[in-house]
Amino acid sequence: MAERVLELDRVTMQFGGVVAVDSLSMRVDRGEIVALIGPNGAGKTTAFNCITGVYTPTSGQVRYLGNLIISNRPQGRMKELYAGSDKAFPAETVVNTPDRITKMGIARTFQNIRLFKTQTVFENVLIATHLHKTSNLFTAAFRLNYREEQQMRRHALEMLEVVGLADLKDEKATSLPYGKQRRLEIARALATKPQLLLLDEPAAGMNPQETDDLGRFITGIKNQFGLTVFLIEHHMDLVMDISDRVYVIDFGKLIAHGVPEEVQDNPDVITAYLGVEEE
Amino acid sequence: MKTVKIILAALLILCAAVLVIAAESSKDKLPGLLERMDAQGAAAQDTKMQKAKDRVLDALAEGSREKVLRSLERYLDGWPDRLDTGGTVARELFVYRNRPSLTAAGLFLLLAGALLLGAVFDRTGKIRKAALPALLIGLLYAGVYILESVVGSGTMLITVLKKGAIYALVAVAMNLLNGFTGLFSLGQAGFMLIGAYTFAIFTIETQSRAQVYQYYDGGLVQFALPTLAALALAGAAAAFFAFLIGLPVLRLKSDYLAIATLGFAEIIRAVFQYDGLGPITNGSNLLRKYPTFDTVLFPFLVAGACVAFIALVIHSTYGRSFKAIRDDEVAAEAMGINLFRHKQLAFVISSFFAGVGGALLAMYQTTVQAAAFTSAMTYEILLIVVIGGMGSLTGSVMASFLFIAASEWWLRFLDNEQAIGSFQLPLMRSGFRMVVFSVIIMAVVLFYRRGIMGDKELSLKRIARRLSPRKGGGANG
Ligand SMILES: Nc1ncnc2c1ncn2[C@@H]1O[C@H](COP(=O)(O)OP(=O)(O)OP(=O)(O)O)[C@@H](O)[C@H]1O
Ligand SMILES: [Mg+2]
Repeated sequence: MAERVLELDRVTMQFGGVVAVDSLSMRVDRGEIVALIGPNGAGKTTAFNCITGVYTPTSGQVRYLGNLIISNRPQGRMKELYAGSDKAFPAETVVNTPDRITKMGIARTFQNIRLFKTQTVFENVLIATHLHKTSNLFTAAFRLNYREEQQMRRHALEMLEVVGLADLKDEKATSLPYGKQRRLEIARALATKPQLLLLDEPAAGMNPQETDDLGRFITGIKNQFGLTVFLIEHHMDLVMDISDRVYVIDFGKLIAHGVPEEVQDNPDVITAYLGVEEE
Repeated sequence: MKTVKIILAALLILCAAVLVIAAESSKDKLPGLLERMDAQGAAAQDTKMQKAKDRVLDALAEGSREKVLRSLERYLDGWPDRLDTGGTVARELFVYRNRPSLTAAGLFLLLAGALLLGAVFDRTGKIRKAALPALLIGLLYAGVYILESVVGSGTMLITVLKKGAIYALVAVAMNLLNGFTGLFSLGQAGFMLIGAYTFAIFTIETQSRAQVYQYYDGGLVQFALPTLAALALAGAAAAFFAFLIGLPVLRLKSDYLAIATLGFAEIIRAVFQYDGLGPITNGSNLLRKYPTFDTVLFPFLVAGACVAFIALVIHSTYGRSFKAIRDDEVAAEAMGINLFRHKQLAFVISSFFAGVGGALLAMYQTTVQAAAFTSAMTYEILLIVVIGGMGSLTGSVMASFLFIAASEWWLRFLDNEQAIGSFQLPLMRSGFRMVVFSVIIMAVVLFYRRGIMGDKELSLKRIARRLSPRKGGGANG
């Protein structure tokens, strides 16, 4: 059996009365490209935020490489308010901040691009190499970490070359066209040296040609860096093209799961999602 | 070509060394010089003249350069026909009178020679790259020192330079937090107060303590630290308080920091004036009789070193992370940056240098009282930061000097009653200066919202680009 990289066990995320993710269980194995799809507001981004520690789920567990990285059950006010469908709660509470989860090897991009807007393309990627530093404030200030600094710069530049933005490295990040900003976000995520890459709608705003290139690009970096990829995407062609398996959610609940062809023909999915898309 | 450069550098260094040695040794040569001036022994026959001569020697023994110069001039002016001041005597007198300037000039030439020599043997090209900035900084320091010895250290110009340097440090420290890390703090005056008091308390001369702490039996602390150690301690004390405040507050959303630090500054001001702490803080009384500085070079050197350190931090990987947090906290955290750690780091560094700045301010004022560190002081510094540009160190430095010069010097005349002919100008009276000042500031903040520099730095490259528009047009428009 392939190694389990990521595993969600009945993860529920409730905001006030809104259950954005409802008892969601999923897994991603090493070397896979897995897609998470669903109509707008289905809870996909929220699921990513629960994995990366941006939100602490109301209930449920997340495992990464077999280790429990997040675990929670309804606390305080949520005990009465809880409206999820799963009522068996884990006993432990494990909380990790996003920076720690990134250090463990899970990197992500954002649906609503979040680049460091005053920084150049190169600086954006360089910042993402900070987490592996060994220098302290004084060695860094007095440039005693010269070697490490050189390494960081070299690595950042390599990542830019991988995504094909090296010649734009001194441009301001926000001056790039949309598609290139998305690629820059991927370069930045890669610079943290992840094992698992979470991509939130990487093709949003791209034309068919760019989307096509992106598909090949994602498969390419997956192989080059030995990554596992988990992506949210609305472009069905891309999803069907590159993913090994697909999870479909609607109103926070899992409604279908399988290889792309299976999912495509699933009647529930067609009504919930594809039907909406094709009308 | 190489040998020419080496010879040139060697000559430069030699000249510089001769200059410095000649200037510095002129102090010991003064008694001999007095004898040679008075070759005929006129002083020995005239008690009044002898007294004037002795006064020069007494002042010399006392070590006060100003006194020596004053009594020397009186001696020379009093008996011009009996003293021989021609030839070598004239030259040596010149050297003695201009000792600080000549030493400064000599040291500057020494730096230039060393850089030239270094550049010849430099393989990596680093020295060559650093040479121009190093020379400019050297020129600045030598220039300021010479300026002081020419115009006199009590003049308005030098006063503005002293206070401006101190404000530059506290403004840069505040900019590190507010401009570079995006944390809005309003505690600057509080941290400066801690620095000022820590410095004063631990440096008051032991024999003066009974007098300073007259209402508190000479106070609790009965020793005095060396000045530099006390400056570092002042920073450390402020940093320690920042660390404590940060523990709960920096985990919350940023807005709370402003409230917490503002409250802290108000509380600390009251606490330091509290009678029960009198044996340490002298209650609401002044602290005085601690070391002060008399040359503008001191605040320039200390503030310069501190600002340089902050600049180094900002250009390191830590500074990049601070800017990332400012630009987008969520993305920064997703890139593996520990928000709390880095915010805490920025807050502690900023407060450390606010503390050092407070200590320098205490030295500048020669007395210090907690009541003076009001939130108005914080707003003043915040204004400087805004005027200079959030996220620009050079902007903060320039704005500090401009701000201090305007408020202490250029607008002074508005406070004096003035008349054109017999017409008494209305409004021109005490306090009007602050009104005009506020209006100017309001205009600056309204119309130059991003300050003088925005978030750019003043650099040689930038100036060069400005000066040659044809070359600069391409890259950045
Ligand atoms: N912080 C929050 N507070 C309250 N409600 C939230 C929050 N974040 C998300 N939601 C709600 O959760 C639901 C799911 O949102 P989410 O962003 O996860 O959807 P999505 O599947 O990513 O949609 P899209 O395809 O539009 O990106 C929405 O109804 C949204 O309003
Ligand atoms: Mg989304």
